[in-house]
Amino acid sequence: MSKLVLEELTKRFDNIVAVDKISLEVAEGEFVTLLGPSGCGKTTTLRTVAGFYKPDEGRVKFNERVMNDVPPVKRNTAMCFQSYALFPHMNVWDPHMNVWDNIAFGLKMRKLPSQEQKKRVSEALGILSLEGMEKRKPGQLSGGQQQRVALARAIVTQPDILLFDEPLSNLDAKLRVQVRVEIKEMQKRLGITSIYVTHDQDEALAISDRIVVMNQGRIEQVGDPQEIYLRPRTSFVAGFIGLANIFKARILGFEGNLTLLSAPFGALRVDLGRSYPIGAELDLSFRPESMSPWTGVGGNKLKGTILHAIFMGDAMDLFVDVAGHRLRARAGSAARIAAGDEVEFSIPESTFQVLE
Amino acid sequence: MERQRVGFSTYLFLIPGVGFIVLFIGSSIFITITQSFGLFSVTGTSQFTIDHWVALLGDRESLDSVLFSLKMGFLSSAGTILFAFPLALFLRKGGTGKRFLASLVKIPLFIPALVSAFLIINLISYHGIVNEVLVALNLINRPLRMLNDRFGWGVVGIQVWKNVPFVLLILASSLASIRDDTIDAARNLGAGAIQILAKIFIPLAMPGILVSAILMFIKAFGDFAITSVAGPVYPPSIALRMRNTASLFQEWDKAAVLGVIIILTTLVVTWLYAKLAEFVTGGEG
Amino acid sequence: MRRDEFTITTLGTQTRKNLYILLAAFFILVQLVWVGLPILMTVLWSLVHPDYPWSYPQMFPEKLSFAQWRFVFRYTNIVRALKTSYSVAPLSVLLAFFLALPTAYALGRKKFAGKKLFMTLVLLPIIMPGMVVALFLSRVFTSFGLAQSFFGLVLAHTLMGLPYMIRVLTTSFEAIPQDVIDAAENLGATSFSKIKDIFLPMVRPGLLAGMVFAFTTSIEEFNLTFIIGTPTFETVPTILYSFLGYNFIRTNASVIALIMMVPNILMLFAVERILKSDYLSASLGKL
Repeated sequence: MSKLVLEELTKRFDNIVAVDKISLEVAEGEFVTLLGPSGCGKTTTLRTVAGFYKPDEGRVKFNERVMNDVPPVKRNTAMCFQSYALFPHMNVWDPHMNVWDNIAFGLKMRKLPSQEQKKRVSEALGILSLEGMEKRKPGQLSGGQQQRVALARAIVTQPDILLFDEPLSNLDAKLRVQVRVEIKEMQKRLGITSIYVTHDQDEALAISDRIVVMNQGRIEQVGDPQEIYLRPRTSFVAGFIGLANIFKARILGFEGNLTLLSAPFGALRVDLGRSYPIGAELDLSFRPESMSPWTGVGGNKLKGTILHAIFMGDAMDLFVDVAGHRLRARAGSAARIAAGDEVEFSIPESTFQVLE
Repeated sequence: MERQRVGFSTYLFLIPGVGFIVLFIGSSIFITITQSFGLFSVTGTSQFTIDHWVALLGDRESLDSVLFSLKMGFLSSAGTILFAFPLALFLRKGGTGKRFLASLVKIPLFIPALVSAFLIINLISYHGIVNEVLVALNLINRPLRMLNDRFGWGVVGIQVWKNVPFVLLILASSLASIRDDTIDAARNLGAGAIQILAKIFIPLAMPGILVSAILMFIKAFGDFAITSVAGPVYPPSIALRMRNTASLFQEWDKAAVLGVIIILTTLVVTWLYAKLAEFVTGGEG
Repeated sequence: MRRDEFTITTLGTQTRKNLYILLAAFFILVQLVWVGLPILMTVLWSLVHPDYPWSYPQMFPEKLSFAQWRFVFRYTNIVRALKTSYSVAPLSVLLAFFLALPTAYALGRKKFAGKKLFMTLVLLPIIMPGMVVALFLSRVFTSFGLAQSFFGLVLAHTLMGLPYMIRVLTTSFEAIPQDVIDAAENLGATSFSKIKDIFLPMVRPGLLAGMVFAFTTSIEEFNLTFIIGTPTFETVPTILYSFLGYNFIRTNASVIALIMMVPNILMLFAVERILKSDYLSASLGKL
């Protein structure tokens, strides 16, 4: 098991900077997700950790050891691929590699005694509930089973670091939720340091100890899932993870702990946790679920016209026009609201986030 | 594909395969060209001269051979594509009987050119079954001369017979890249069968059509064996004339001039088709 | 109203279906005659009894026998030609394989400048007019003492088989997903085990296809053999050529044509069945 340290890591392809001076520390046994849109550098970072790419600048360290020049073969990481990358063949004369052969591959490469190989493969089969499928060929398995074989193949080698490259994106929605729970449980049980790459925010929120949000080769914010969701620090993070109402506001004054603001859709009383000079302009955000129909107590009261009301099953998604400004809001699924209605909303003072 | 940049050593990997080919083909082209100017002569009197070129360019018989081979090249290439394209269209998607049809169509691909020539000769010879059937049906009074005919239809027939499946394979792979969505969309927008053919199938299959046209032309233009057994008594194909000039009359320098003419024509036609392909596909091919 | 519409559309698909069946029947019938008749005639000609010549206006030979087959095997060079053909072919395939392997690996898996050019150069033996190459390569061979030699013949046949071998192998190397190679490397595979466990097994179908293409190319190669090999070495095609020339004997030629084509057809169809994939068009479809 290893701690992973990235120091000012930079990777270029031709003239494109894919990863731009990234620094990150991942503790032993921690599960960290690199989250961002495609092309943000998350996969490049992961593959640099695996050793498939050499960093142009900066260092990759496992514990205290600098790994920059260590080839992938000698890094003792194990990667799970989006395509599963199971081996279809064994060798020229014995054409098909079955589930057992696939899982044992890394152990064979390490020349472990066959008793030990047998023990470890059986264990892995147990952990991923693949018992009885040892003799099947990859082509005969479902996507979910193939991914579990890939996971088993990764963990039997007892890697220092587990690497996941969007392992669930080829699975259908229900299976994705199920397998991600399995991955999380397995990782906690084995305690292997894990780096997980995804563009799916729900997946990142559900699975990670910490999330690293990346954009254009840089880190936007690092934090645990709650922090990332509730306290986004930049407009990119606020906009990429979940939905957000983002707006500019000027500070008018103070009232005890609360700050008085003038926003495009009216005056607000907000709790920012610190003070700013009067007259300063701030970028602010709040989540749609913070803005719900007025129940008679507390918060900022706003009156708006419903533009669209979309029934989502568990809630009502609302597009509201407030003083000519468009906001997203939420109501309970039982609410009877339709486009054209005039509705009063409340937004609690403490839900506003200042963006950098 | 590996994303990392690769070094000079990669080119070393190419030496066994590409090197072997370039060495042998290159040296033979080199000898052809130099010898056409009198160098590396068999007789030992090596000296630069353009006499062979002058002599041959004024030679009426050689011109006849060139024209005949050009004719064979174009006709074989056009004929094969005309036969193969409807088949390729029909075989584009699976259906009852198509597996059988596809295997049937492919058979000539696996039959060597000389054997194909013989198979067809058998049919179209003076007392061959084609003539016999035509006479029996009273369509003609006496058998037609289809083998060694003066125009060369026999040669064209053999080329087409042998190469339909080859061209079909190339056309099929370019037709396979046409998505059903595209056709459905066109149909949905009111395009009829002919419009779909003209606006979708033919343009999208164009790269495949051009590639097969090039390959077919080269094959038929430079052909020796088929013309020599099924072609007219006069003129011989240019390859046949070249071989006779070299082997029978031992005039290697003159043969070399003919060789250069064959190579040049091949290159020019290939280049023309490539330009045409660029024009047709908007520079993507 | 709705009902009418429904009937119309079903009628439409029904006529379409009929049209399709008609078209399929037409193509199959035409192809049966187009491909089947020449082969059938040749089979019949090879079985004509020498004492009962098949001539106009008979539609069918009077008596069939294997006499022609016995004659060809006894009194022509066919046995020696078969030996030459079937010893040159495997040797040239083997040589082509070893030459093609590194080149196809680089073309299929590496990125480098001028790759397109190299891919086209590989096709030179197919593109260049065969007789020109044959004649003037024979001049080169003569000066190195390779003309009229067995080794020279093997080299010439290797040259003609190489394009297929390289192109088909390149396609199979290209088709290996990078992820699988990365996964092997990630799990500790050395270069040797990468070749043994990943590359070779995964290009195996392409390798088989390339070998069969090269083999059949060698069996039917005429131009180079005719110029470089004869009269010292005769292969089946040069024998057939001699029977098609001045001494045209239809019955003998029929026998030799069948000897030459039947193994080819069987081999190539077997490969297609086993591989279930069109390697030839995949590799030659683009110039």
